[in-house]
Formats: sequence, structure tokens, C-alpha cells
Amino acid sequence: MEHQRCYIYEPPETEERAPKRQRTGKFNPQAQLSERLQTYRDIWAQQEERIQDTLEGADSATQDKIVNFISASASSSGETQFAIPTALIVAGPSIASHGPFFERLGRSITDDTNSVYVVLTSGECPNLKTLLKNLIKKVTSRVEDEDEDDVDRPSVSSRYGPKLLNYDLGHVQEWQKKTCAASIVVALQDSEAFDLGLLVDMVDLFHSWLDRLPFVLLFGIATSAESFEERLAGNSLRYLEGEKFDVTQSDEIIEKLFTATVANTDARLRIGPNLCHRMLDRQKDHVQNTQDFCDGLKYAYMSHFYASVPSVFLKDGIAFEDLAADAFEAVRNLPSFRRWVEEKLEDGQAQDVRQLLDSNESLFDQITQHIKSGQQALSNLSHSTHVLAGIREALRMSPSVRLSSIWTRAASGELNGSPLVRETMLSIKKIPSDKLVQLLAAMNELESDYFSIDLVSSQQRLDSLLKDTDAPLRTQHDVRNDSLRTTVVAQKVLLSKHKAALSEQDKAYSDLVTRFHDELDAYFTSSLIDPRTLFLSEILMYDLKSPHTEVFQPKPRFAVERALASPHDYLGCDCCTGVDGNPAALSATQPATAIVYQMYLESGTLINVSDLWSAFNAIAGDGVEENEPKTMALFQRALAELKYLGLVKPSRKKPDHISKIMWKGL
Amino acid sequence: MMPDEIIAQLNAEFQCREQQVHHLAALYTTHFPSPLSLNIHGLTATGKSSILRSYFHLSRLPHTIINVRECITARHLLERIVAASLDALDDFNDEKIDRRPYARTENLSALCVNMGKLLDGREKFILVLDAVDKLREGAGTLIAALGRLGEMIPTLSLILTTTLPLTPSTLHCASTSFLHFPSYTRADLLTILSASPPKIFTATPSLELFPDYTPDLAAEEDAWLWGRFLQAVYDSLSKHTGRDLLSLRNCAMRLWRPFVEPVVSGQFGTRDFSRLIVNRRHLFQLEESVLDRIINSTTSDAALTTGVLATPKPSKTTPHNLPYYTTYILLAAYLASYNPSRTDVTYFMKHTDKRKNKRRAPSAASFSVTGKRTGTKHRKISRHLLTPSPFTLDRLLAIFRALLDGTVPQVADLYTQIATLTSMRLLVRAGGAGSNDALERGGRWRVNFGWEYARALGRSVNLEVGEYLVGGVD
Repeated sequence: MEHQRCYIYEPPETEERAPKRQRTGKFNPQAQLSERLQTYRDIWAQQEERIQDTLEGADSATQDKIVNFISASASSSGETQFAIPTALIVAGPSIASHGPFFERLGRSITDDTNSVYVVLTSGECPNLKTLLKNLIKKVTSRVEDEDEDDVDRPSVSSRYGPKLLNYDLGHVQEWQKKTCAASIVVALQDSEAFDLGLLVDMVDLFHSWLDRLPFVLLFGIATSAESFEERLAGNSLRYLEGEKFDVTQSDEIIEKLFTATVANTDARLRIGPNLCHRMLDRQKDHVQNTQDFCDGLKYAYMSHFYASVPSVFLKDGIAFEDLAADAFEAVRNLPSFRRWVEEKLEDGQAQDVRQLLDSNESLFDQITQHIKSGQQALSNLSHSTHVLAGIREALRMSPSVRLSSIWTRAASGELNGSPLVRETMLSIKKIPSDKLVQLLAAMNELESDYFSIDLVSSQQRLDSLLKDTDAPLRTQHDVRNDSLRTTVVAQKVLLSKHKAALSEQDKAYSDLVTRFHDELDAYFTSSLIDPRTLFLSEILMYDLKSPHTEVFQPKPRFAVERALASPHDYLGCDCCTGVDGNPAALSATQPATAIVYQMYLESGTLINVSDLWSAFNAIAGDGVEENEPKTMALFQRALAELKYLGLVKPSRKKPDHISKIMWKGL
Repeated sequence: MMPDEIIAQLNAEFQCREQQVHHLAALYTTHFPSPLSLNIHGLTATGKSSILRSYFHLSRLPHTIINVRECITARHLLERIVAASLDALDDFNDEKIDRRPYARTENLSALCVNMGKLLDGREKFILVLDAVDKLREGAGTLIAALGRLGEMIPTLSLILTTTLPLTPSTLHCASTSFLHFPSYTRADLLTILSASPPKIFTATPSLELFPDYTPDLAAEEDAWLWGRFLQAVYDSLSKHTGRDLLSLRNCAMRLWRPFVEPVVSGQFGTRDFSRLIVNRRHLFQLEESVLDRIINSTTSDAALTTGVLATPKPSKTTPHNLPYYTTYILLAAYLASYNPSRTDVTYFMKHTDKRKNKRRAPSAASFSVTGKRTGTKHRKISRHLLTPSPFTLDRLLAIFRALLDGTVPQVADLYTQIATLTSMRLLVRAGGAGSNDALERGGRWRVNFGWEYARALGRSVNLEVGEYLVGGVD
């Protein structure tokens, strides 16, 4: 062994079958993948369009203000300026949405004003020189024809005399002479992350060029304009002058996005309540990021169409001939199909059931019918949540519940008969006429195919009632029409309620409100169904949390800690399950690193390596003197792995000790 | 133009600088030799650059002025010197110099050669390096070398302007001449600024209604009131905050509109200065007008005009709506920075009674500045006024979990949030070497915000941070 430098490894040849074999059956798990993906693309394209519209609409007001500010500062550039026009854009703490925001802003600035727009991020500007290089490159759209700092200038220059260095703003001046741009807008997307000295230098430099180059600075700020001002020195502040602009808060944008995508009445595929809850909670608790929300939505759509064969039925105008038998088999295995069939059997329609099980054609007819009706039902549900939210908003009821939470509750089937709806209906019962006018006006906007109440006739009757009264009319349920009467009979106090006598008009008004209330109540009861009871709800609604959580909220530290602390969870072998049924006990068969890690968990901040070794040897070693070097090698490798993972580091406090720097469960 | 005419014109343009203009005129003329190098020094806004520019422009001497502020590196400066000199010579002599030999000026020796070649056989050329002390790099021997450039090229004379006089040790040479531009005195400032009074009435009163108020009279009234007003501003505010021309002018311009507002509205006449100043005295008591702000906030303007002295300032640190857990991470970071780690057991161990580990209300004894035992003064600085101390990531996470009631899953989102906070500079990596490496073992962090912000953050999630903080706060 000692003289041999290399070995030829020959794997032992066995006659047995390989432990891992490929499935050779005909079953194709990716049946009709291309159709499904096509459907996904169609549906997602619609959603994406809605998302883009919403995002552009959301901050258009702020963008217009900023554009106005820039054009105003450009028009005033005739007289000498003492300070650089500066816009502090408070874009909120959702850093990831700053990029798209500044991109959209740039588009509208270049469209609406005669100025050039440059975005700089802290990553590409570590120092003033690089910042200027980037700036010049972006302003003049010049292609850099050489690599980096080697000469800092093109080699041809010697023929023509001195040339500007590539970080000289003279380039921009030349360019400015040619193009005559009204202003050069420099946006610092993440101004907090810039080095402070760099910002000060930059402001100083831009200010000294201000008489030749019309700079406008935009600072993207995540925290607050005040703290940004506090960071800058007075000298730089003197060179800046401008305004503050607030960007729409990200939770409002999320709400709008939710309304436009998930709660939209035209959506063909919906996201289920659990997933919605998860996505919204994550936005509230962890990240505020519109991009992340859209990604989550997209991922949900993708996983639905990629993983589930029956989703092919969502394709528009699908014909029976396009479908393989697998798809029908898959539908027959859906839980909602079973439920539906059982219901049919209870109704005694055994013949129909037999046909559904045997004949693909009849199943196809049923499926197309039910998909249509199911989508109709879901759209009704969505619209009723819009109506409910609209009513609560019009009546200014507190607490104000967001549409997203109403929708989530409706989709999980909790809303029908819930306190929220009851409370709303009660307040409609008691509504005085002046508020009813507002309510009807607000509900006019919500009128659509999914909303069947005859608002017009109510409106007309109300108008005719209100024609000859000044004071608002009240219904019979209004508390102001009640009076309490106390009578003492045999030393007992009796409280009795009495209705005040209603006037003719009030009576007529009460009738009107009662009818309106009843209609609305019927509407809510009919449309607020539990969508999970629908046949084919699995196709119409995606509500699986499993791939979504793993993709968007992975647990890296937990996974590493779990693998080390209880390796049998991952190895799944018999030998590591523990001693005497105690899974936590250490055994020699576990990986060495796992053993050392578990001993590490039990120790304090400073660990004596010698003690650790003897403990390890007691468990992993077999007590034979000759084998000790092998055990030692295992131990050392385990320790090195822990160090590599960043769990321990050598300590300077005591010799032969290592210090523990990570604790489990944090 | 004759020297006397130049002097007269400059004196008219720049008041109170007669002596300096005379010096310049004596030193730099067409026929007499000029000093090889001159250091002009003076504080900001004393007219150094403007007078130099005007003087050389009028005197028609071949010269070039380079603003060193605009030069990023030393090489940039050298290239600029050569390029600007070429441009200036082209301009003055109306010729076209062949530029090919001057393509590169990498270092000082190249500069010497190029300038020597350029100025060989020409008459006097003046090179002005404005604000040479603002050079961003290469300050060590560069200035000394530049200062002695004239020794090698006899026709070149150099002017260096600085804020403070260059010391002989910087120049490596004792023979440099100096010209001091002293700061303006009170009288100077008032003379200069009263030369251009702003208008009292933005829209001139119509001549039909007030036939007496002619434009001449208006100008007179403006000048009278402005002069009085300037004195008041200088004595009350600028004397203590900023005595230079720019600060005084900024401050006066900011206060002028609110000051004359009663006059515009017709409450007082234009000559009622004493009544006006009593009425508007709050303007001279607030500090708003002397602070430099980017946003000229409307609230402070409103406070200035309405005259409400004790307007509650809009709370300076309005925390943004951070996500729920992010807020807690920040709070935990603040506590980790300002609590010594040995007290963590007292404050954050899970007891059955949560109230027990919170701080009791600070007793009167803890406020006493002097120690009880020793007679000597034992000053103790409150912890939250000190710089935050660094902490490890695990300590932050441990405190984070102790602050929260329920459990939080160990999701990667927590780390994303820490990264986000770092790029917002609310958390910063502490320590010198390896602090840029995110994967460094046992990296240490610090918070980058103050107590006010932390308290406001805590209140937004119903957590009183002071209860967990070691040592008394407020």
C-alpha cells in the first residue's frame, strides 16, 4: 500500500438487478404538457397585463408630480442656479420594487420632457471615479471600447492631442452641446446604500459643473427624507434644493394587485384561500414587495398547469378529440368527482353514474358544462365580495376590512352567515335615507352581469319619496324610532320597547329598505358559496401550499440543523434510528459530523477539544488501540466540517478550546 | 484696459476689496515681472475666485483658471492643466498650436516637459489653480512640486488659492508670496448686501391707487427697510451661526418675505421698522432660518408667517411601515447594540412572569450625577448617547425570538430582511477586516439609528423598548 501511488477502482460486479430502476410502463406523467403550457401562457398573459396596468396606474400620480418638477426646474434653468434641483423620492422599505419604479419613472421622464435620465445604483458605484464613468457611459450611450483602468483612454489619442479622461464630465459637456437636453436627470436608486463621502463628493462636483450642465438629482430613499438629510453635511445641503415625493405604499399596491388579479371576476384560474392567506401574510410580516407577490402568483399558475393533468380542461374551446384518455381517468380520480358521484348515487341516478364512469364522451360534456358553471359561480363569489367591500366602504363601517381579507374568507366558504355579513346587513336595515342615496350611488358602479339586483327601480322609488321631505327618512328598525318604557308591577320593573308611530313616508321608506335588504340578503346567500364543494374545484382553483412554501420560504438553517441533529430523518436507514427506541441517542453508526454536532449542542460557549475528542472516542471508537488513528481522523474531519459550516471558530481566550458561535433553533 | 481703469471697475463690482485688488494689479501686469508662485488664501465667500476671474479677464493677460474641485485624480488635474493652457494660448494668440506632442501627461515630469515645451519662447503665462486644497488625492508632494514649477519654466507664474495659507512645510519652500483675503467685517457685509435690496411688494402697487408711491420712492423704501432688516438679522442670528456673505444672504432672503408680510398686507407702513420688528420678533428667535434644508418645508414657513412660537415640530423620525418581523429585528438589533451581553439573561430569559425581567422605573438615585461614595464628580454618560457596540448575528436572532411571544419559523425571509436592512444602512457590518464578506464566520453588526427612532418603532408594534434597555433612558 505504501508504495502504491494510485489505484484502479473496480466496482464489484453483481448479478443482481440494479437497486434503482426506471419505470418502463407506458404511463406518461407529462401527458399533453404542451397544451397545458399553452393554456397557462394564455391565462397568465391576461393576468400579467392586469398586473402591469395596475402597477402603472398605482404610482402615476407621483410620477406626474416628479415629471412636473423636472420640467419646472428645466424651464427655470435660464437664470443662474445656486443649488441643484433635487427630488427626494421616499419609495418605502420595499427595496426590490425600487428598480421597476425607477424604470417606469425613467420612461415617463424621457417621454414627457426633453431630458436624459440615468439611474445609478450603489453596486455599480463604489467610488467617485467609477460613478462618473458609469454616468458618462449612460448619458452619452457611448460604448466603452476598452476593458478597464489599464490606460484610462483610447490608444489612438496620441495622434490628435490631449483627450479627455474617461471620467471627465467634459464628455457630457460635449454631448450636451450636441443634443441640448433640457436637463440631465441622475437618479440614485438606493441612496442610503451609497457611501456618504461619495455622495458628498458627487454633490460637490455636480454643483461646480452646474453652470455648464443642467443636473437634476433624484434620490431614492427607503427610510425617511429627514434621516437622509441628517446624514448629509450642511455644506452639501446648501448645494441641494428641492421637494419630497411620496410613493404609494407597497401594501396599497398589493391590495390593488390582489383586486385586479385574484379577485377579478374574469380570472379563469383562481388561487385558493390558504395560498392567498400565506402570500398576504408574508407580505405583511416579512417582505413588502410587489414583485414577490407577482412571482408567487405566477409560480402558483405554473405549478397548477405543469403538475396537474386535468388542468388541460381550462383550455378555451377544447374539443373531445384533443384529449387523451388519461385526462378523463385523472378527472375520475378527483375527490370532487367522487363526492359528486356519490351525491348522484344517493339521488338514485345510478344509470348516469355508470355512464360517467364508462363513457368519456358523456364525462366530457359534463366537464365542459361544470367548468362553465363553476367559473360562473366563482365569478359571482368574487363579485359579491366586491359588493360587500363596496357597501362597507360606502357606509364607512369600522373596522375597515380589506377586500383581500374578505375575498380570502369568502373563498374558504366562511363568509356566508358570518358576523361580518350579518353586521353589514343589519346596518343596511337601519340605514337612513341620506346614506342610502350614497350607497346606491356607490353600488351603481358595481353593477355588472354578476349582480342582479334592480337598483334602478329602488333609486326611482327613493327619489319619489325624497321629493317632498327635508329631513332624512328613517326605517322602522332605526333605534331612534324605539323608546323604552318602564313600568313597575308588583315591585318588579318591566322594560318594554315601543315603536314610535311611523309616518306614511317613513313606512313607505321602510318597505323600500326592507325589500332592498331582502334582495341583497338573497344575493349574498346565493353567491357566497363554499367553492371547494363545487365539482371540479381542483381544476378551477389552485390551493396547494407544498411547492409554494418550499420555493418562497425555504428554511436553510433549519434544514442544516435538522440534518446534523437527527440524521436519521434524512438517511432513513435502520441503523441510525437510535438506541433502544430512543431516537435522540447517539450511536456509532451515525455520521461523525452529526455525532460531534450533537455533543456541540450540549456544551457551553467554550469547548475543550480534548474533552470533545474523548467523548467522541467513547461513542464512535471501538476501544481497540490500533483503530484510534482512524477514529481520530473521523473526528478531525467532523470538526473541520463544523468549522466550515461556521459553527465553531478557534478561541483566543483559552488554549485548546474552540468557541461556539451558533446556537440551534435561531 | 489701463490698470487704473481695471482697478476702478473691480472696485465698483466688488466692494470692500480695494486693497486686494491693488495688490493683484501691482503683482500681475504685462510689463513687470510677476512672482513665480502666489498663494491666495481666505475663507469661503471672500471673493477670491470671482476677483481673480474678473481681474484676469479685464487685464487681458494670457492665463487659465482651473477649478481643482472638478478634478477627480491628480492625473486628471495634470491633464487639465495642459489642455486648458493649450486652449488659453490658442485663444489669446489666435493661433492653432499643434497638439499632438501634448497627448499624454501622466505625471509631474511629463507636466514639466509639456509646459516647458508649450511656454518656450512665449511671454508671461499665468496659471491659476483654484481651491487647490480640495484636491481629492495626491496632496503629499504634488502641491510642493506645482509650487516650484515656475522655477523650471521662467515664463510661468502660478497662483494657488486655498482656504488656509499653505505652510512652508507643504510647499517645501519659504519664498512663496501670500495674499490674504480677510473675511468681511460686519460693516463690509452690510454695505455689500444693501447694494441690492429685494422688493417689498412683489406686485408693484398700481399708480392709480397710490399715486405717491412712485418707483423711485419704492426703491428708496426697499433700500431703507432692507438695510435696517439686515442689521437686525446679522446681530440676532448670523453673528452666531454664519458670518460669511452667503450664509447671511441666504438667511436674510429666507426671512425677508415673512418679515415684510405685514407691510404688504397694509398693517404697517414701510417706515414702521420698530413696530415691525416687535411684531415679527419670533422670526429672529427661531432657528429654522439658519438651518440648511433640502426641502423648504411648508410647515416651517407656516410657522414663520403665523408667528406660532411653540409649534410642535412634526416628529422628526416618522418610522416607515416596515413589515412586522422586520420591525422586531430592528428592535432586537437596537437592544443587542445597547445592552451589554451579560445582562441578556436578566432581560430575555423566559420566565413565567414576563413582567419580572423588565426594567423597573428608574429611581431617583439613578439620576444623580455624582457618585454617593466619592466626593469627586463621577460623570456617567447615558448608554444611548454612546456609539452602538457590535453584536453577533446569533445574539440578534436570540433577542428577536425572546421579544416575540409566539414562535417564528426559521425561514430564509429573516435573512432577507437583515440583508435589506443592511442595504438601507439601518444595520451595518462592524469590524475592519473581512467585514465586507457576508459569509465571514461570526460577523459582527451594529445598528445605525438612534434612540428616538427605536422608540417610535417599538411603539408602532406596542413594545416599549425602554423597558428592556439597561440603564435609564430619559
